[in-house]
Amino acid sequence: MSTSSPERDALQSKSALVVGVGGLGCPAALALAEAGVGRIVLCDDDLVDGTNLHRQILFTEQDIGSHKLDAAERALYRAGARPGSIELVRSRFLPENARDLARGVDVVLEGADNFATKFLCADACFLEHRAVVHGAAVRLCATVLSVAPDGAPCYRCLFEDLPTGATAPNCAEAGVLGPVVGLAGALMADRALSALLGDRTRFGSLVSYDGKTDRARELALTARARCALCSNERSIDEITFHRYTAPSCAA
Amino acid sequence: MATVRIPTPLRTLTGGEDQVQALGDTVKDVIENLEKNHPGIRERLLDDKGVRRFVNIYVGDEDIRFLDGLATPLKATDEISIVPAIAGG
Repeated sequence: MSTSSPERDALQSKSALVVGVGGLGCPAALALAEAGVGRIVLCDDDLVDGTNLHRQILFTEQDIGSHKLDAAERALYRAGARPGSIELVRSRFLPENARDLARGVDVVLEGADNFATKFLCADACFLEHRAVVHGAAVRLCATVLSVAPDGAPCYRCLFEDLPTGATAPNCAEAGVLGPVVGLAGALMADRALSALLGDRTRFGSLVSYDGKTDRARELALTARARCALCSNERSIDEITFHRYTAPSCAA
Repeated sequence: MATVRIPTPLRTLTGGEDQVQALGDTVKDVIENLEKNHPGIRERLLDDKGVRRFVNIYVGDEDIRFLDGLATPLKATDEISIVPAIAGG
């Protein structure tokens, strides 16, 4: 999308939550700030690690050991974020704060490195009627899914529930290539900006990018008839801790 | 012979190949054929109930859940895509 003056003006009254200020959250937050989003809430509890600098583009060597949020805030204001637009939540996105955080913004960008947070974010956003953009990148592969406030389709329409057992995708073996994750983060921001500007045409679309072949593919998803979250037969109507217990993956 | 696009997380089973050819009249047949040439891939895609819940399989742009599932018939020119859940960044 372009950010011509009317769009930039419209974005001034809009807000976004970025869950995870890592390889996805950094470029996404930067794009939101540059576009003129009026309030950007960053949620993370981690410190800047030197081994991640290749993909966490808001940070420099001088930031190593600092809280990610402090370094990100400095970088975003340097890049031109609106004065006072950055808010910091020094916590993980957890069952106890998920709905409050989702409710407080217009759109959520989820760039978490573990499945538990992804499903938690999907559930909290649907229950609070908020649009959410899910992003992920492993090795040379990236996916971005934009979900409407009323789902249909939602993340659970696509993947149902947390992977478990020995055949679950093994994140611990995976690396992440900086340019691929950067592309995914930028695409997440593009989808979020579209949602903030009232464009519903991107909802329900899954973009897959393969860095090896340099091919992107967009699939229009179909809502799952018996989705536990967003169908008429839904069974998830609250956030309960046990639903989100799964091994995390530090990518 | 159908073309199967292999996502990054499964390429360890295909020697790094991002797409392979497989024989079969249905999606299930193709997966069985893949298993012969790339042992271990069936377990990553299927469990005793069918397609694993964190994997989606497409024929062209159509999710097989909305076709005939694993019994979805294939043409020789069909392209099968596997979309697994991934978390990372």
